[in-house]
Amino acid sequence: MSALETAPGGAVIRLAARQIRRGGVIVAVLIAGMTAIVAATFDQVMADPAAAGSLEALAGNPAIRTLFGEPIGLGTAGGFTVWRVGSVTAVFLGAWAILATTRITRGEEDAGRWNLLLSGRITLPGTVVRHLATVLTVPAATAAGITGVLVASGTPMTGALIHGLGTGLLGLFFAATAALTAQIFPARTPATGTAVAVLGVTLLARMIGDGITALGWLRWLSPFGLMALSGPYVHDRVVPLLILFAAAVAIIVATGLTAARREVGSGLVTASTSRPARLGLLGSVESFAIRRALRPLAGWALGIGAYFLLIGLTAVSVTDFLADNPAMSDAAAQAGFPGLGSIAGFAATLFALLAMPVGGFATVRLGAFVAAETDRRLTSLAAQPIGRARLLGAEIAATAAASALLVTTAGLATWAGVLMMGGDLTLTASLRGVWNSMPIVLLSLGAAVLAVGWVPRWVGVVGGLPAIGGFLLLVIAESVATPAWVRDLSPYAHLAPVPLTGAGWPAIAVMLALASALTATGIAGYRSRDLRS
Amino acid sequence: MTDSALRAVDLTKRYGRLTALDTLNLDVAPGEVFGFLGPNGAGKSTTIRLMLGLARPTAGRAEVFGADAADVARAHRSLAYVPADVALWPQLTGAEILHLHARTGPGTDPSYRDELVERFDLDPSKPARTYSTGNRQKVALIAAFATRAPLLVLDEPTSGLDPLMEQEFRTAVRAARDRGQTVFLSSHQLAEVEAVCDRVGILRAGHLVEVATLSRLRALHRSEVTVSYAGPAPTLTAVPGVEAITENGDGRLRFTLTGSPAAALRCLATADVTALAVREPSLEEMFLDYYGAENGR
Repeated sequence: MSALETAPGGAVIRLAARQIRRGGVIVAVLIAGMTAIVAATFDQVMADPAAAGSLEALAGNPAIRTLFGEPIGLGTAGGFTVWRVGSVTAVFLGAWAILATTRITRGEEDAGRWNLLLSGRITLPGTVVRHLATVLTVPAATAAGITGVLVASGTPMTGALIHGLGTGLLGLFFAATAALTAQIFPARTPATGTAVAVLGVTLLARMIGDGITALGWLRWLSPFGLMALSGPYVHDRVVPLLILFAAAVAIIVATGLTAARREVGSGLVTASTSRPARLGLLGSVESFAIRRALRPLAGWALGIGAYFLLIGLTAVSVTDFLADNPAMSDAAAQAGFPGLGSIAGFAATLFALLAMPVGGFATVRLGAFVAAETDRRLTSLAAQPIGRARLLGAEIAATAAASALLVTTAGLATWAGVLMMGGDLTLTASLRGVWNSMPIVLLSLGAAVLAVGWVPRWVGVVGGLPAIGGFLLLVIAESVATPAWVRDLSPYAHLAPVPLTGAGWPAIAVMLALASALTATGIAGYRSRDLRS
Repeated sequence: MTDSALRAVDLTKRYGRLTALDTLNLDVAPGEVFGFLGPNGAGKSTTIRLMLGLARPTAGRAEVFGADAADVARAHRSLAYVPADVALWPQLTGAEILHLHARTGPGTDPSYRDELVERFDLDPSKPARTYSTGNRQKVALIAAFATRAPLLVLDEPTSGLDPLMEQEFRTAVRAARDRGQTVFLSSHQLAEVEAVCDRVGILRAGHLVEVATLSRLRALHRSEVTVSYAGPAPTLTAVPGVEAITENGDGRLRFTLTGSPAAALRCLATADVTALAVREPSLEEMFLDYYGAENGR
C-alpha cells in the first residue's frame, strides 16, 4: 500500500533525478575537484619564483584574460583560485544546467513521454517546477562543494562563501532560463539554442564590460558580470549576488506562469500547422546531412563570429598596451607567449582557443546523429539501399565542412575587427591562423566518431576529450607545474602560434593521422554493431 | 533455381544470455503474401531487424533475393520497410519525408504515391511533429507501397490505424500482390493475417513453431462461448466443433467453438438460454491453448 500512498510530486522528482544524476554528480565533483586542485597548488606556485613569474605572464596574456576575467587578488590563494578556475567552472555549470533542463523537460515532452506522466494527478506547471527544482540541486551541491573545498584549503570563509554562492546562483539562473525557454518554444532545439544564446551574450557582455571601462555598467546586466562584481576575497560584495538571485527567482515565477498558460506538447510560440514543401537538399543522404546541419551551423557561426569580432576590435588596444610595457611582454615571452605585443601574436594565442567551441560543435552534431538513431528517426534511412559507412560518412563530411566554415567565420570576423580599428592583420594571416586549429577540431570529430561506433552513449564525453579536455589539461598543467609529459598529452601543447610563426607541420601530420585512425576505427565499429532502436 | 524473396538460414540472435531468436529457418517465395504471427515479445521485430541488417546475427544468415542481408546497399535495392513504431524527422513535412524516401529509396511511382496520399487521407503539408501515431504510420505505409521494390517488409503496420484505414491497407496489400510484389507482414492480429495472407509462420518465444497454410490457421481460430440457462443444462457433448465444455454449476457453462456455429445453436435452442456471450480469444491464449506452454522456452 505504501506505493499508493506516495505523493505524486515525489515520484516526479525521483523520475527527474534518475535522468540527471550521472551528469550532475560528474559536474559537481569535477568543479569542486578543479577548485581544490588549483587552491592546493597556490603555495607551491608562489614559492617557486619561476612559476610565479610565468603566472604573472599568464595573467597578462589577453587570451587568458578574456576567458578568465579580470585578475584581482592574485596575491592570495582564494583570489588566485577564483581567477584561475572561476570563469571556466561557471561556464561549465551554466552550460550543463541549460542542457540538462531542456533535455528532461522539453525533450521528454517532445518525445511524448509526458503525456502518460500528466495523465496522473500532477499538473503541467507542477511537473515543470519539480523538474527544475531537481536540476537545481546540482548548482546547490556545487556551491556547497566549492565553498567547502575553499574553506578546507584555508582561505577566508567570506570569500569562499561569496564565490561558492555566486557560482551556484549562476547555475540557478541558467537552469531557470532554460526552463523558461522550454515553455516558450514548442521544441527542444530552439529552447536549448535560445538559452545558450543568453549564456553567450551575457558572457560577451562581461568581457566587453571588463575590457572597455566606459561600458563597465554592462556587467550589471550579466550573471557572469555580477559574479565578477561580487569580487570574492577582495571586495566580498553581497549586492550583486542578491540581484542575481532576484533575477533567477523572477525567471522561475515566469516559468510557472507560462507553463500554466500553455497546452502539453505546445509552447507559448505555436509552430505553424502546415506549410508548402521545401524540397531542397532532400535528394540524397549526403545533402540531407547538410540540410540538418545548416540551422545549428548558423547559430554557432553567429556566436563564434561575434566573439572573434570582439577579439579583433580589442586587439589593437591590448597589443598597444603590451608593447608599451616591455617588462610584461618579456615575462610573457619567457613563459611561452612570445610576440603578444603584436597583433599576429595576440591573434595566434586566441585562435588556439577556437578549437574548443568548434570541437564542441562537431561533438554535438555526432551526438545528434546518435540521438536520431536512438529515437528511431534514422531507421527509415537505414532501411534504404545506403550502407552504414555511407550513412555515417555523410554525417562526418557535413560536420567537417561545417566546422571548416565555422573556423573560417572566426578568421573573417577577427580580420574585419582588426581592420575596423586600423590594425595590421592580413586576411591570409588571419585565415592561416584559424585553419591551424582545425587538426584539434578533427581530433574531436574523430573521437566522437569512435564513440558512435563503439560506445554511442558516451559520444559527448569522448568527443569533448581532445578539444575541451585537452585545453583544461593544458591550463591545469601550466598552473600547477606538472611534469612536461602531462602537459604534452594535450594537443594544444603541440599547436604552433600561427600566424606569428609558420605552421608546425610534423605535429599537424601526427594529429591528422590520429584523427583519421580514430574515424576509421569508429566507422568500422558502426558497420559491425546493431543499431540502437 | 529461383531465389527466395526472403530466406533465413539458422538465423540466431542472442543478447547476452537471452536468446531472442533461435535457429530460424524460413523461405518466403517471390509473389506470396507471408504472414508472420506471434504474441508480443516472440521475436518478430528481432527477426525483421536481422533481415534488414539493422542488427547483426549471432549465428546464421539472412538473404534478400539471394543478397546477404548485411550488404544493405545491395539487399535494400529490392525492399521497402515499414517499422512497427514509426519515428519521423519532426521538422520535415509529410511531403518532404515522402520526397526524401523516394530520392534515397529503391525507386518510387510518383502518381501511385499521390493516389495513396488521397486514399489514406493524409495531409502532407503538415510538419511531422504534429502527426498522430496513425498519421506517422500512414506516411511510412505510403512511402513503402509507392515503391516498386519487389519485397515489402511490414512490421505490425496497422496498430495505429482506424478500421477504415485498415481496409485501405488491405486493399493496398492485395494491389501489391497483383503487381507481383512479395509482402512479409508481421502481425499479432489473426484477423488481419487471415484477410490478406497466403501462408503464415508462427513464432513463439524465439522459435518458429510452424509454417501453416490458411486453412490450418482457420482451425486455430476458435471462439469461447459462455451460456447462462434456466432449467436443465443443454447437452453439447456430441455437437461437432464444440470442445472443452466446463459447467460452472450455477446455471452457466462454457465451451469452445470451431468452424460453423449452426449445430451448436440448434442444440442451444432446445434449452432455456437466458444469456449468450461469444468471445474471440487473444492470440496468446490461442497459442497457449493450441501449442501448450512446453513448446515455448
